Amino acid sequence: MTDKILLLPIIIPLIAAVLVFMAPKKSRALVGNISLFASLLNLIIVILLFKHNLQLYLPWLGFGFDFSLRLYNFSAFIMLSIASFGFLVTLYSLVFMQDKSPLKQFYAYLLFNLSFAAGAVLADNFLVMLLFWEGLLLTQYGMIIIGGRNAFRTATKAFIIIGITDLCMMAGIILTGHIAGTLAMSKINLPLGGLASFAFILLMIGAISKGGCMPFHSWIPNAAIDAPLPFMALVPAAFEKLLGIYLLTRICLDMFQLTVHSWLSTLLMVIGAVTIIFAVMMALIQKNYKRLLSYHAISQVGYMVLGIGTAVPVGIIGGLFHMINNALYKSGLFLTAGSVEKQAGTSNLEELGGIGKLMPVTFVCFIITALSISGVPPFNGFFSKELVYDAALERGFIFYLAAVVGSFLTAASFLKLGHAAFLGKLSEKNSKVKEASFLMLLPMVVIAFVCIIFGVFNSLPINKLISPVLGEARLEGHNFSGFPTNMWLVAATIIVLIAALINHIWGVKNKGSAIKAVDHIHYAPGLSGIYNKAEKGFFDPYEIGLKIALGLSKIAFWLDRAIDWVYNTFIVKLTYAFTAQIRKAHTGNYSAYLAWSLAGLVIMSLFLIGSIGKNPCILH
Amino acid sequence: MRYEYILLSAIFVPIIGAFALPLLGRFSRNLRNLVALGLVVVSLVNSSLMLPHILSGSTITVAKELLLGFNFTFIADSLAVFMALISSLISAIIIFYSFGYISHYENQDEYYCMVVLFFGAMMGLVFSANLILLYVFWEITAITSWRLIGFFREKTQVLRADKAFLVTVFGSVLMLIGFVSIYQQAGSFDMAVIKNYPISNIAIALIMAGILSKSATLPFHTWLPDAGVAPSPVTALLHAAILVKIGVYVFARLFIATFTLAGFWHTFVPVIAAASAIISAGAALVETDLKRLIAYSTISQIGFIFFGLAVGNEIAVAGGLLYILMHGLAKAGLFLCAGIVEQNTKTKDITKLGGLISTMPVTAVSFLFCAFSVMGVPPFGGFFSKYMVFAGGFASGELWIGLVFLVGAFLTILYLFRVFNLVFLGQAQIVPIKETSRTMVMSVAILALLSLFSGILIFYPSGFAQAVAASMPGVLK
Repeated sequence: MTDKILLLPIIIPLIAAVLVFMAPKKSRALVGNISLFASLLNLIIVILLFKHNLQLYLPWLGFGFDFSLRLYNFSAFIMLSIASFGFLVTLYSLVFMQDKSPLKQFYAYLLFNLSFAAGAVLADNFLVMLLFWEGLLLTQYGMIIIGGRNAFRTATKAFIIIGITDLCMMAGIILTGHIAGTLAMSKINLPLGGLASFAFILLMIGAISKGGCMPFHSWIPNAAIDAPLPFMALVPAAFEKLLGIYLLTRICLDMFQLTVHSWLSTLLMVIGAVTIIFAVMMALIQKNYKRLLSYHAISQVGYMVLGIGTAVPVGIIGGLFHMINNALYKSGLFLTAGSVEKQAGTSNLEELGGIGKLMPVTFVCFIITALSISGVPPFNGFFSKELVYDAALERGFIFYLAAVVGSFLTAASFLKLGHAAFLGKLSEKNSKVKEASFLMLLPMVVIAFVCIIFGVFNSLPINKLISPVLGEARLEGHNFSGFPTNMWLVAATIIVLIAALINHIWGVKNKGSAIKAVDHIHYAPGLSGIYNKAEKGFFDPYEIGLKIALGLSKIAFWLDRAIDWVYNTFIVKLTYAFTAQIRKAHTGNYSAYLAWSLAGLVIMSLFLIGSIGKNPCILH
Repeated sequence: MRYEYILLSAIFVPIIGAFALPLLGRFSRNLRNLVALGLVVVSLVNSSLMLPHILSGSTITVAKELLLGFNFTFIADSLAVFMALISSLISAIIIFYSFGYISHYENQDEYYCMVVLFFGAMMGLVFSANLILLYVFWEITAITSWRLIGFFREKTQVLRADKAFLVTVFGSVLMLIGFVSIYQQAGSFDMAVIKNYPISNIAIALIMAGILSKSATLPFHTWLPDAGVAPSPVTALLHAAILVKIGVYVFARLFIATFTLAGFWHTFVPVIAAASAIISAGAALVETDLKRLIAYSTISQIGFIFFGLAVGNEIAVAGGLLYILMHGLAKAGLFLCAGIVEQNTKTKDITKLGGLISTMPVTAVSFLFCAFSVMGVPPFGGFFSKYMVFAGGFASGELWIGLVFLVGAFLTILYLFRVFNLVFLGQAQIVPIKETSRTMVMSVAILALLSLFSGILIFYPSGFAQAVAASMPGVLK
């Protein structure tokens, strides 16, 4: 009986979601309360389960498709994060979504999301994982589409991108199961090479696409504008990173033997480095609070992929630590964006400014989370980035360089954001802005607090949550907590941060306003043209992919029309031509007809005589 | 003995009853409609009644010897009952839908007579255990579908109906020659007698021509989009419940349950299916006529079914059979939704539609649900069938063909979202129109929910499909 308790984190939100859907139309408070209660109950159960190792096994569909779940240190860690973020964002939404509609759908999708994410993490059978993982497509689609009349374009884009990569993952799962002979995730451990490498790539596509890595990222900035804000704080900022990186780590560590010598490790690092640089370059020039954050949500996943891709313990620890840190500060940052948007009525940086005095708690939370993401000691982001730097440097200077340049631009863009939104001149319109309500501040404060704890006391997350994932054998007695040991790297980081500050001050002085602080990069010769095209979606892999698909489809359509022409025109003409010839034989000449008939009769008789001899059963 | 009556009435109640419908129609339209539905429900109920007996591993046989080695044999085994249940369930819903749809048109007596006869012939075909009997029912479906496609009697409709008839009958005549050549080799038309006989590749090729033309697979597929001129419930029947499913069913019946295919065919058929799947999926992304677009989607999805069945290992065959069910439910739903849209807005051009979700919410959501099932998104039923077909394909080492199908699956997501967004979302381009008929809306909602619950309760259909696959001798171990 005790192992069935594993079903609770899946079933509780599921039941609550169905209840929310069935709730009467007018009962807005009831819907919120059900959701809050369910997510709280879920959190409590996950906390109670935390230290346990449990396994649930139910035979299901045959062919090795068993419904099996497994709770162990890694899945428990992710579960705890998911349940916590689920609860905090529900709490935040109580006020934020108060006067928005459709409320029922929002909460129902949120709860479905909790349930499916829990299922995907707990699953110990690949098919079960895929089932929940792909189920998230629907909730994601639903949560974006309720954002407004035109949100459906973004919802479709997100669905298509993630749906196609999920199909790749499905193929990867099937191949892996085929090679390994089992779908039980905890029993798979394959050497890379040949078909296994191909399966790894397919699974990797699914994982990094869920994480929002390039080139599968381009729906996130659109969603930042179109989707309801709690969705951004919950899904692209937290859940998708947790799930994507969880799977990436599982395939790199357990299911395939990824080593530093594998070209796949290099591939992952390249993807990570490219994602860091290009996404942060885009973040730098954004003029909308939420859109700017969304590019950072992409850029930060680059650090995780880079860290895990190094395939060395310090990199994997760093990647995982960065995953949880990013989930914290990114969702915290989105929540500050939401509170600014709700109180000031806009998230456009050009219309904001000086509201730090009016919203002091939000401002402080922003400062803490922004310092964390910029990697300033002693906040959590600093420590995880240092671990990733360490591993990147071990694998190649170019990767380290990409990571450090990324940090410089991250710091620069947050200086710009904070300065433009919270400091500077307060406009007439914003002079009446008040601090957000208690229920919205609470999740932000909790998250900011944890950012500090995870920084100052980083041995807590590293030793309790993350190191067990690798296991004693891989760690070889190393302890990665505490202050970084490589002082050169720390010094380099601090120099980079100071450079970012100088860059900002110089930029502001030069252009006279905070929002234009990075214009010297934006409009630098050579860059401005590229930026211009990028902002128009010229490099959007989704648009390019659609164009290719449409081009191929046109060829397919022509082929189809050509086949149709054979039926509609060619065969018809051929028949007319043929019958015209036959008609000529109808001369009206009686003796000719008689000859034809006789000839036919002779052929038939010969055939019959021949077949009677050979085949007796015709007489039966 | 009791089971034999159940089997015979599952076939002949609709066939004979169909001819009574025009007479009933003279007295009362409602009575005629209800009786038409009742005739299909008889088959549905009878098929379900046979289920426990079949699942226990036994079969039901009705045989009567005739002259010259021909005999009149019906067998209900698990494959036949599986198919009969799917066909009768979907047909019943479609006939229910017709109550609303067809009430606007002339010649209703003929419509119901033909539809029920069409359905009855399908039942006969499913249970036939004799090649000639199978051929006879096959041609009855061809004749009735010819009449039904040309139901509106305009010049285009009649030409399109002729095209469908000529292409499918061309195939079926080739198939008949194949049957005769089997007879010459094996000495009987009775499937039980000729079971496991090593038939020649020429016979297989001839029969395949019949199967591919009936199931609208490349290069015999172009009649199916053209057949979209038929009334929507008819197209739904053609696509989801009866006509194109005949081909895949007969493939399973002959080449998995009766004969074993030589190794070459296990690659050749998937290659054709892959070409068919991807070309028609591409065409669906370009097409702008709502019903033609969904027809291309059917051609594409039939490719997936053939892939599963032709690869031939147990999981692939079970997946292919499950695919018949899931695709049937979802595709019927899509066509019936298209029928609601078309009848209310008087247009089938998706570029002239838009924003219908605000006035037709149930239709829109049902369409989306069915689309999700066709795309293969969990927890909808289509997910499981798609997964199993791919799992079987990869397990047989058909990596490259599998990847082509994967591209087909990508395109499926694209074209279904394209049509959904253009028809139901965005700016309304026409005066808002409400869903008028409740029976029609109810039918699509039922199909959408069935698509959903067939996935949530996948244990039952999947278990059935696996039992069917396990019972067939031609399944590769």
